[in-house]
Amino acid sequence: MYIQVDNANTFIATGGKPFAAHLPTVVLLHGSGTDHRCWALQARWFAFHGYSVFAPDFPAHSLSEGEALTSIELMAAWLVRALDTTKVDKVHLVGHSQGFLVALEAAGLLGDRLKSVTALATASAIPVNPALVEMAQSNPKVAAEMMLQWGFGSPHQYGASSVPGMQPIGIGTRIMANNPLAIDLIACNAYEKGAEKALQLANIGCPSCVILAAQDRMTPKKEGFKLALDLNTAAQVIADSGHMLPMEAPKESLNLMKKFIQSLET
Amino acid sequence: MSKSSYLGADTIALHSGYQPESDHGSRAVPIYQTTSYVFDSVDEASALFNVEQGGHIYSRITNPTVAVLEQRLAALEGGAGAICTASGMSALFVSFFSLCSAGDHIVSAAQIYGSTVTLLKHSLKRFNIDCTFVDINDQQALGAAIQDNTKLVFCESIGNPGLAVSNLPAIAKTAHAQGIPLVVDATFATPYLNNPIEHGADVVVHSVTKWIGGHGVAVGGVVIDGGNFDWLKSGRFPTLTQPYEPFHGMNFWEEFGPAALAMRIRCESMRDIGAAMTPHNAFLLLQGLETLNLRMQQHVSNAQAMVTWLQTQDAVAWVNHPDINAEAHTKALFPKGAGSMLTFGVKGGRDAGAAFINALQLSSNLANVGDSRTLVLHPGSTTHSRLSENDLIAAGIGADLIRVSVGIETLKDIQADFSLGLRAAAKILAQQAEA
Repeated sequence: MYIQVDNANTFIATGGKPFAAHLPTVVLLHGSGTDHRCWALQARWFAFHGYSVFAPDFPAHSLSEGEALTSIELMAAWLVRALDTTKVDKVHLVGHSQGFLVALEAAGLLGDRLKSVTALATASAIPVNPALVEMAQSNPKVAAEMMLQWGFGSPHQYGASSVPGMQPIGIGTRIMANNPLAIDLIACNAYEKGAEKALQLANIGCPSCVILAAQDRMTPKKEGFKLALDLNTAAQVIADSGHMLPMEAPKESLNLMKKFIQSLET
Repeated sequence: MSKSSYLGADTIALHSGYQPESDHGSRAVPIYQTTSYVFDSVDEASALFNVEQGGHIYSRITNPTVAVLEQRLAALEGGAGAICTASGMSALFVSFFSLCSAGDHIVSAAQIYGSTVTLLKHSLKRFNIDCTFVDINDQQALGAAIQDNTKLVFCESIGNPGLAVSNLPAIAKTAHAQGIPLVVDATFATPYLNNPIEHGADVVVHSVTKWIGGHGVAVGGVVIDGGNFDWLKSGRFPTLTQPYEPFHGMNFWEEFGPAALAMRIRCESMRDIGAAMTPHNAFLLLQGLETLNLRMQQHVSNAQAMVTWLQTQDAVAWVNHPDINAEAHTKALFPKGAGSMLTFGVKGGRDAGAAFINALQLSSNLANVGDSRTLVLHPGSTTHSRLSENDLIAAGIGADLIRVSVGIETLKDIQADFSLGLRAAAKILAQQAEA
């Protein structure tokens, strides 16, 4: 569906069913340079199993218009404004990589509207190599290729796909090369409040779930374990997957996501 | 534009899409000669049917062995996804079927395979899909042929049998300027010689039966979704950008983006038309694909040598191969050589040509190309026999044209065989002179 946020046409994927604010709502937040399609399969499952899905393309990403947001704080504030347009009350925030930094920051803004947070392949801080940022500024296509070469785990480098016949690296490269990757990477690199925000969530008893990838070379799982410690939860690790976890292991990641979120809704 | 893999082409051909399976550690890709796949639960079955998770349901839609070939070909061509089909013609049909509806229009190169001409000119016409044929390298003519209801521009990267090389970057520029995708049949080129997506193509089709399979043992086709075309921005493709009722209103563009066309073909064409590749054929075609690059080197070097040799033979009237007096775009698109097909005519016309073919012992007279063995054919009386005289002229097919798919045999043996044929043709010419 398209909504207006800050006077810009904004695309929100709803998993193939109309958004219904009265249903338990799962907010799926994409990572740097990607878009709602990294959640294509998970979004459909939630939408067809009693949830409303709210998976935005952040401004200037893929199907959304507007100016790219330059900090995690701005992204979090934008997310809350976007949610407000739907009249939705309580939400489960799920974030991949940069998307979880946004979730951490947005959690404080949402207050008691927040039901839970789920982190996928991420950490409380995501430092980015300056050479990658520079490449993303000068040649986004090459930067996207570099990032996905680093981002996907070994099976996908050898052409594996959870969806028969598809090439996730090819799909990801096309999405990333056309989105404001450099701005996202700079925002990730600059965000330093992740650990503090995670501790705050733990202190208020916010339910949390951390799902990590064994072959993650962008946010190594040892950093994910620290995040889980700060959130006062146990991390779960999916084998044979790299940083692009939602696309590399959609079934396995969905199983953990739905088990966690369903446990809070029953 | 973008690579789907960071491995080299030789490695992709051998490894992509498959790593030894966990049950037995089979090094080669196993043949899953199976129709259906057990669901863990009713919930899992429901999720698979509703595209909430990937996996196999029924081999008309997907099959584990076929999927390896699909993923390998998508990686080799640098695409976002691929769908294998029962034949090259069914690959073309599902491509057109997925992009066009009744009342739509296609612009096609005139110099293309005879069965594709009949599909575009007659079969699709029955469904009120029209086609205009143009000289595809005449950008003015191409641009003028595009109408408000045009849905795609089609060409072969190397035309069959005229061997004209399509200037892909120029054609793509003309098509894209009017919001139209370019669909390329790259059968004669193979992924070894040219990757059309890098040069602007949006959809690539192969008859995998030919050089990719390479051994004359299995028929198959593939559609590769290039993933670069913005179907929404074009505004011409409701099949991809508007809700599709039979799949709970799925919007393929919104949900799958760069893989929208591949997913539409998977969800609709494979379900409704069922032109599925068999697992055993996929296995056979994978054996060919694994050595494609090595074979193509020999195919091309033999073809280039045969061109040079034929040009020195007294009985030969003319020789055609794209590398002869190659145009700038041919050199740019085919730096490793423009394929292993050649055509030639013998002095004495059709009768001398028939004598040539009938005298051959090593080369085979049959309706196929891209076998490892050398193949010859007279298109005017076989593959293109259903075309009118005007269509034959438009396709660049004279009555004396002999089509050769140069194999990978020892070069001197092909030349010795052709010498037999040329002697027989010379006799006919002499008889004609006496009469």
